[in-house]
Order: sequence, then structure tokens, then C-alpha cells
Amino acid sequence: MALMVIGAYTNGFTQELYVFTEPASNMPTKSIGVRLTNEGMFNNPGFVSRTIPEVMIGFNKNLMMHLQGFMSDMDGKYRLEGGSLYVKYRFLSLDEAQSHFRAAAFGRVSTSKRPTYTRDINLEGDNSGLQGGLVFTQLLHKLALSSTLGYAHAFENSERQITGMPQPKNMLAYSLSSGYLVLPVVYKDYKQPNFNVYLELLGKTDPGSGQSYLDIAPAIQVILNSTTRIDFGYRFQAAGNMDNRYTKNMYLLRAEFNFFNVLK
Amino acid sequence: MLFFAVNVSAQKISSADLQVTGLTCSMCSNATQKSLETLNFISTIKPDLNKNIFVLTFKQDANVNLDLVRKKVQDAGFSVGGLTASFNFNDVKIDDKGQAIIDGNVYRFVNAKSKTLNGTVKASIVDKDFISGSAFKKQATNANSDAYASGTGVVNGKKTRIYHLILS
Repeated sequence: MALMVIGAYTNGFTQELYVFTEPASNMPTKSIGVRLTNEGMFNNPGFVSRTIPEVMIGFNKNLMMHLQGFMSDMDGKYRLEGGSLYVKYRFLSLDEAQSHFRAAAFGRVSTSKRPTYTRDINLEGDNSGLQGGLVFTQLLHKLALSSTLGYAHAFENSERQITGMPQPKNMLAYSLSSGYLVLPVVYKDYKQPNFNVYLELLGKTDPGSGQSYLDIAPAIQVILNSTTRIDFGYRFQAAGNMDNRYTKNMYLLRAEFNFFNVLK
Repeated sequence: MLFFAVNVSAQKISSADLQVTGLTCSMCSNATQKSLETLNFISTIKPDLNKNIFVLTFKQDANVNLDLVRKKVQDAGFSVGGLTASFNFNDVKIDDKGQAIIDGNVYRFVNAKSKTLNGTVKASIVDKDFISGSAFKKQATNANSDAYASGTGVVNGKKTRIYHLILS
């Protein structure tokens, strides 16, 4: 973290296109983004993976939406296991020449066909439920920090509940993200690739059992043609006592394509 | 043809340097550029990706709407940090209150009054959301225009958009 901060300070540019979280900033009005994400997890006796197709729409400068589908082989054969709707509303923008502070509120509703095997609530594939929260992004000179606070509630899952397995109810989620631009040092044109690196801290606490975890998630990102984004990240568990979580030690590989001003 | 060109005086703003704040990567700049490209009165957009400045040139005879330029930057998710425009003035008289009306557009000059302007003149817009929030607050404390806070005022009995300018 300290390295990140120093790096961001000396290298010049900050970056807030976080890989594991969303910034408070929104996507452009009347634009569409398409994402394809692949997540691989190594701790479920064997290797399992999930594929997430995603469409993002910017309705206006303050309101945007993501629609996601989830497919995985976590319960045997590869299958469609659910979907999610995520809405984010930016309610504060204090922009200055060298700094900005932005705040947004978000909500998510998710469905999943999966039974539960852990107290962890992951509304991107593993659980059905609701989530609400706040994101704050602060750009100060050359350092950008973003913090997310969220509260999730999992729906009851009695018909798929496996005897003896935990029934997750609520989850507090929090994160701190930082990122900076490594290349280019000097911009020439829109075709020039951008190379960004990120470090995020991702934590959750189950208020019922008191179990928590904290992951460290570094990521690298390439932006091509000023429209296409390729992300690769890995989350390591740094601390925690939540059993059988799926997102522990997980890689994430994503391609994102942006289409600016395509909506009327 | 030359006679015709001289007589058409609708084009008062030929170009502008647009400073955009909040851009953190070329994708952000590209989104801003694409948003600005939807304005039909803009002829060319030349970005300086290092300084986050877009040099805009406007079409001849087009009705340039600077509020729409601001809106397109905001639509892309960013803010205008400064806008300095090149005005082509032809015997424009600024009255003793610093106000000039040019083709129906009302301008109030913060640093000029009782003056006649000719030729190409550069001026910066200092209205809300054309400069940073703190710069606007600072400017508002010593603004001598009752229309500064809202950007609108009553001119000839009609509620009118009033742009506030500082001559460079």
C-alpha cells in the first residue's frame, strides 16, 4: 500500500478504473459498455470457474446500470446460475483543477440457483439477495483513493438449502482501492495503449457470526484504442476466518468494450 | 462571394480552448471528445491529452452555444475547468455597466466597461460550471453583476442568459 502511494505520487498520474470495485464516477451519458469476465477459483477441492457477461448503460451523467449473467461449473456441469442488476447514482461531484471528490449510492439485486456452502455472500453468482451502499472517490493531486461501504442481505434459500450447510443472512462489505497510470508517460494520441496498475483491499464481515476476511487484490490493466479495457487481477486472502469462501484466492480476467454516444 | 462573407456577421466565436478536469486516462478524454462531437456547431476538436485541453473550432455562421459545450463535458462525467474563446468583434460597444449585446447574446465583462471592441478578442467565461467551484465562489464575492450567481438576468424586460467574461 505504501509503495502504491509513493508510486502514485512520484509517477504522475492517477487512475480510478478499478478492477474489483466500482468508482464513484460514472460512465458517460448515452454510452454502452460490454464486459466479459472470467473468474477462476482454486480452493473448492478442485478448480472451478465462472463467466460473467455484462452490459453497462449510462443513462445520464449521474445514473448508470449494469446487467450481469452468471455461468459456472461450480455445481457440476457449466450452467447459467443467475443474474444481477446493479444501479449506481452519483449524487456529489466536487471538481477542482487538481482534485475531485465524488460520491455515489448503489443498489444491487441478484438471483442465483446455487445452494449455499459458506457464510460469505457473493451477489455476483453465489447468492440471491439485495445490496445497498456508498462509494467515495477522492482524487487529490496525483493520488486517487476510492472507498466502498455496502450492506448485503441474502434471500432465504430453503428449497435449495443443504442440511448442515450455513445459511448466510447479512454481510457488511468494505473496500479501499488505489490505482495509477504507468504508461504512457507522455500522451501522443487516442491509439496509444495505457497501462495501469491497481491495489485494492477487499473486506467483509458477517455481523451475525462475527466472521471476517480481508483480501489483497493487485491488478494490471491495459486500455487499447481508448475504448477497450483488459483487466487481470488476483485476490489473496490476507486475513480471515470465514470458511469455504469461493472468492478466496481467485483470479479475474476481463475484457471491456465501450461504445460512446450510441444511445439516442 | 466576398461581399456575402463580409455581410454575414453571425459568427462571433471562432474557436475556444476548453480545459476539462477530472480526466484520468485517454478513455475519459475519448468519451469527452465523442460527446463534444455530437454538437453540430463544432467544426474540429483537437485534444491535448497531456494537458486535458480540447481546442475547438466552430463552423462558420453557426450559432455557438457555450452552455451546450459545458453540458457535453458534464454528460461525459467531467467538468469544465476553464473555457477561453476567441471572439470576432466588429465595433462592439461595452456599456458603462460592462454589458454588451451581440446578435441577441448578452455578455457582461468583469474587467471592461465603456469600451469598443474590434477584431479578434480572447475572453474567458467565468460563469458557474465554466470554472472550478472554488474559483466561482471567489469570483462571486467580488462580482459586480446581479446576474452572476444564476447566470441569468432581465434584459429588455426578458429573462435572458448572461455570460460573464474576463478579457484576456
